[in-house]
Formats: sequence, C-alpha cells, structure tokens
Amino acid sequence: MSDRLFDILTSSFIKILIPGIKVTIPLTLLSFALSVVIGLLLALVQVADIKVLKQISRFYIWIFRGTPLIVQLFIIFFGLPNIGITLDAFPSAVLAFGLNLGAYNAEVFRSAIIAIPKGQMEAAYMIGLSYPQAMARVILPQSFPVAFPNLFNNLISLLKDTSLASSITVIELFTSAQQIAARTYEPFALYLEAAFIYLIFSTFLTWLQTYLEKKLVWKSKGGSDEEDAGRNKAMIG
Amino acid sequence: MLEVKDVYKTFSSGYVLKGINFRVDKGEVVAVIGPSGQGKTTLLRCMSFLEKADKGTIIFDDYSHDMTSISPVDIKKIRMDMGFVFQNFNLFGNMTAYENVCEGLVTARKMNKADAGKIAKEVLDKVGMLDRADRYPGELSGGQQQRVAIARAIAPNPKVILFDEPTSALDPELTGEVLDVMKKLAHEGTTMVVVTHEMSFARDVAKRVVFVDGGVVVEEGKAKEFFDNPKEERTRQFLKRTMREY
Ligand SMILES: Nc1ncnc2c1ncn2[C@@H]1O[C@H](COP(=O)(O)OP(=O)(O)OP(=O)(O)O)[C@@H](O)[C@H]1O
Ligand SMILES: [Mg+2]
Repeated sequence: MSDRLFDILTSSFIKILIPGIKVTIPLTLLSFALSVVIGLLLALVQVADIKVLKQISRFYIWIFRGTPLIVQLFIIFFGLPNIGITLDAFPSAVLAFGLNLGAYNAEVFRSAIIAIPKGQMEAAYMIGLSYPQAMARVILPQSFPVAFPNLFNNLISLLKDTSLASSITVIELFTSAQQIAARTYEPFALYLEAAFIYLIFSTFLTWLQTYLEKKLVWKSKGGSDEEDAGRNKAMIG
Repeated sequence: MLEVKDVYKTFSSGYVLKGINFRVDKGEVVAVIGPSGQGKTTLLRCMSFLEKADKGTIIFDDYSHDMTSISPVDIKKIRMDMGFVFQNFNLFGNMTAYENVCEGLVTARKMNKADAGKIAKEVLDKVGMLDRADRYPGELSGGQQQRVAIARAIAPNPKVILFDEPTSALDPELTGEVLDVMKKLAHEGTTMVVVTHEMSFARDVAKRVVFVDGGVVVEEGKAKEFFDNPKEERTRQFLKRTMREY
C-alpha cells in the first residue's frame, strides 16, 4: 500500500466515523423507535379486529412494503414541498425509514401476538381483565421476546439502509465517504473503508442482540428456552 | 346461583349443544360427566362467554340475561364473580405464581398491592404452593401449575368456580394433589361445577352428578343414587364402560 493511500485512509477514517456516530446512529435509532411505535399500533388494530382501522392497517402495509424505500424517501423530501410540506433532510429521512420499517415491524408484532396461545387471553378474561388490560399485562409482555429477534434483524437492516439518506443530502456515514472518494479519486479504498465502519456498527448490534436475548428470555419467562418451548406446546395441545 | 336454560351451540362441525339446561345452587358441587366430544367443555365455555351460544338464557345471581345479546359490561360483571380452571392451566407465562394470583385482584379489581399480597399468600398456602410463590409457570410441574391456577381462581372469592377436566392433562401420579385441593374447597362450601372423568371424585365429592351426551343432559341426580341406580340406558352403558377402565 502506498504511503499516500495509507494517509488518506487513516485521516479519512475519523472523518467517516464521526458522521457515522453523529448522524447514522441517531438516524437509525430515531427511525427504529418510530417504526416500533407504528408497527405496534398497526399490529394491535389488526389483532383486535377493529374493522375500519384493520383495513387502513392492511392498506398501509400494502403501500409501504410494495414500493421501494428510496422512492418513499424521494416523495417525502423532494415531493412533499410541491404540496406545501417542506421538511429538512434529516427529519425526512427519519420519517421515511420509520414509516417504511413500521410496515415490516407490524408483521413482526402481529405474528408474535398471534403466537401466544389463545388460552392466555381466555384466562385473563376469566380473572376479570378487559381486552386492553389483557393485552398490556399478559399478551404483549409474552409477545415481546418472540418479536425481539426479528425486530433486531430489522434494526440491523435499517442501519445499512440509512445509507440511502445520502441521496437526499443527509451528511451521514456514506455521504462522507462519497465526498472524500470524489476528492481523492480513491473510491475503491474509501468505499471499502465505509463498508468496514458499517460492519463495526452492525457487529456491535449483533453482539448486543445476543446479549439482550439471553437477558430477555431469562427475565420474562424465568426458564431456559427449551423448557419454555415445551410448556407452550403443552398449552396449545 | 347459576343457571342456563335451553342453550344451543353449533360449530362448523354441527350442533354441539342442543337445548341443554343446567343449574348449580349455592354451596353445591356438581360433577358433569359424559363421553368425549359431547359438549361438556362447550357448556362451560358458553356459561363463561368464552364461546357465544346461538341461543339460551343465563341466570346468574337472580339476574337473567339472553346469552346471545348480553352486553360486554354484564359479561364482565358475571366473570368478576366466576372462576375458571382450565384443563391446560393457562397460567400467565410472564408472571410468577404469586403475580398470577395477584393479577386479577390488582389489575381487574383495583385492590391495593398489600391487601392483594395478603390474599395471594393465603390462597397459595391453601393449595400448598406458598413455598414456590416466586416460581414462573415454566419452573413448575403440571400438578403444581394447576394448584396455582386454582389459587388464582379462588383469590377474588368468586361465587362459583368452573373446572374443565382439571386433572386430565396431568400425569396420573400428579392428579391426587389437585383433587385434594378441590376436595378441600368442596368441604369449605365452595360452589363448584366440575367437568371430570374422575368417577371417584364425582361419586365421593359431588353432591349432584349431571350426565351429558349428545348435547343434552340425559340424566342427573344425587351422586350416590346416580351411580348406584342409573335410570337411563345410555347412562348405564357409559358407567359400565368407564368403571371398567378404572
Ligand atoms: N372451536 C371449535 N370449533 C369446531 N368444533 C368444535 C370446537 N370446539 C369444540 N368443537 C366440537 O364440539 C364437540 C364437543 O366438544 P366439547 O369440547 O364440548 O366436548 P367435551 O364433552 O368437552 O369432550 P372431552 O371429554 O373430550 O373434553 C366436539 O365434537 C368438538 O370437536
Ligand atoms: Mg372437554
């Protein structure tokens, strides 16, 4: 490796890492938080079988899963100003990623909720709980560990997808790499470097997932995974 | 205390309840027996509104309701005074035994935590599970789970408790501990409806036995008389078949 290339890589590392920490990570976390709230609401109205809201929910999922993320991003940032709604690049990105992933998380939550044996809801009714109480106290706490691995997968996907925000002028990790690559004419090295930094972030998330999953299973069920699977089977049968 | 009249229920598979009548008086233990798939569970589930009857009247605590048009508020009111013990226990997997018992008191009945805790300890003690109060359902045997489920059902001091084959999901050596708890409740004067295949329990503990076959009550009577001198041919055949198994 030439000295020049080495210098470019070391000096650019921080220049790419800093927007990564300051922009990519907040963008990921805020979008994810929004997507969890949206996903949970969309899932709840579906399982509660509230007629009109359920149809709206299915429609929402149909739209956001059926169109490309980058097109949604462009509609929000470049398109909305035409009808008088102008948002900055960063909030536009949060909104687009949050709305989009919300559709996917809705399915994650919905399948986690319906995975809980019907008897849990019936037992909750029979001790006098209302539907919302039963959901909040009995069903959702048990759905969460079920949903968790898939939610986390979506979080890791989202981390990488936030690079699309570069296309609407958000100065995040990938945008910084692009700018330096254009200036130094070393796209190969710089995009590899950008990939490496994404990899560091996602490796950390993967590690966090493993750690949290262990804690979550233990805390919520108080037993090992295997015992629990057996218990659920017994309840369904 | 609790009475249902002329209850009909169909599933896609056909009629399951065909105009069944059933009642339990205060302080009475009624055993419901009969061949498999003849509507015993469905009867309990209709009485507790886990299943919606196609037709029928329920009289609970002197109030009469049409079972097809009863309001959610009235359903909830009845359930506040009704315990249900499931075949598969259905303990809340995210709560310890103690929390399972407290839940109905604190969340549904807005009791303060200290009072609820006192009751929880009392009822867990009664079913012999106080020493395992902080265990999660996954850490308990089937018999222990069912005893906790019974503690959860009796904690709010309901007017009647419905049991749906509370021992049939258990290994044979674990049924005794659950039946003992139920006997104890019966002796204390708890109003109980028990769907069961345990003929000795029906004979020795129940005051009255109801034989359900084909979605109707075929015969009912005082426990001793019912077993010693069944009147209907279908009852006699059923008893002959089941007694041979035991
Ligand atoms: N949710 C359901 N959907 C369709 N059919 C059902 C449903 N629940 C019960 N059935 C049918 O209704 C009939 C009566 O069932 P039920 O569970 O009331 O019988 P049971 O007397 O409790 O039998 P067992 O002694 O085996 O528990 C059965 O033929 C069963 O297949
Ligand atoms: Mg049954």
